[in-house]
Amino acid sequence: MTELLLIDAKWEDEIKLTKELREHLRKNKIKSVALFASVQFTNLDNFIKELEKNKIKVNITKAKRTNENMQVLGCDCYEDSFEENIIKNSEGVLYIGDGLFHPKALLLSQIKSKNFKPIIIFDPVVNQIKEINKKEIEKQIQKYKRNLKLFINSKTIGILVTIKPGQQYFNSAKNLKEKLKKQGKKSYIFIDNNLDINQLENYPFIQCWVNTACPRIGTDDILNIEKPLINIKEAFEPIKALEKLENEK
Amino acid sequence: MYNLELDRLIQEIKKRNSKQVLIQLPDGLKKNSNEIVDFIETKTNAKAFIWFGSCFGACDLPLGLDILKIDLIVQWGHNKFNKEGW
Repeated sequence: MTELLLIDAKWEDEIKLTKELREHLRKNKIKSVALFASVQFTNLDNFIKELEKNKIKVNITKAKRTNENMQVLGCDCYEDSFEENIIKNSEGVLYIGDGLFHPKALLLSQIKSKNFKPIIIFDPVVNQIKEINKKEIEKQIQKYKRNLKLFINSKTIGILVTIKPGQQYFNSAKNLKEKLKKQGKKSYIFIDNNLDINQLENYPFIQCWVNTACPRIGTDDILNIEKPLINIKEAFEPIKALEKLENEK
Repeated sequence: MYNLELDRLIQEIKKRNSKQVLIQLPDGLKKNSNEIVDFIETKTNAKAFIWFGSCFGACDLPLGLDILKIDLIVQWGHNKFNKEGW
C-alpha cells in the first residue's frame, strides 16, 4: 500500500503589513477585513496584530475542506464553502498569497451576493498589491447562466466523473442519472482521470455536460468549451440555481 | 523562501523504511524536482521518482502506484483535504 506525506511548503519569511498595503486599506476606508491565505502563507499572527494596531478588525473563518483557519482552496468557490460568511460581514476582503486561482475562488463565492466585494491581493513574495473585482468573472457568470438554461432544456446529458480520489463523486453521478431518468432525460456517465475538455467533441450526441470533479471546471474552463457544461452542485436543482443568479442582478 | 522540509522528508523515509518514493510537485516547484530526487537518493537508500503530470491539490493524487511498488508519495504545497459530501 502506498503511503502519503503532505508538505505545506510554508513561506519562511515574515509577512509584514507594508506601508503601501496600510495606505491602500486606509484609502478605501476599510475598517474590517475578511482575511484569507493559501496554505503557504497562513503564519499571519504578527501581520494580524499589525492590522489590529491600525484599528482594522480582522475576521477569520475556516473553509470546510481545509484544515487551517484562513486557508482557502481553489474549490472554495461557493458561499457555503466556509464555516462563516465573513465576507458579508467585513468591509474588505484581503487575500495573502501569489497567483490568481485562489483569490478568484473568493470572487466566485460571492456570485449570488447582492453586495459584491473586490478582493485585495497582497503577494508577500514580491510585496505587491493587486485588486480584482466582479469584472474579472463577469464573462463566466454570463456563460454559466446560459449553460444552466441549456441544461434545463437538454434531453441527453453527459456526466463527467474523475477517478482522482479527492474529486471522485461516482455515487453522486449515479444519483443524478436516476433523477434525470425520472425527468425523462437520457444520461451517460463518462469516467477518466484528467478530464480533458478536448475529448468532449468526440461525443456529439451529448447536448449538455455535468461536471462532478473540480468545480472550477464548471466556472473557469467553460469559457473554452462550446457545449454547455454545469457543475453537479447546480444539476440537481438547476431552476433554483438559475433564479438565484438572476436575482443577484 | 518556501520551506520544503527536506530534513523531515528524509526522517520520514527512513522511519517508514520506504524503498521507492514518488515526489509530486506543483508547477512552480517542478523545476526543483531533480534536486529533491538527488537529495533523497544521497541521504537514504530509497529510489526517488518524479510525477510528470498534474498536482492540482491534495484532491489530485496519482493512482495505481502499487503496481510499480511505490511505497510513499510525497506531495508539496498542499495540506490535508476534507472531501465534501453530496
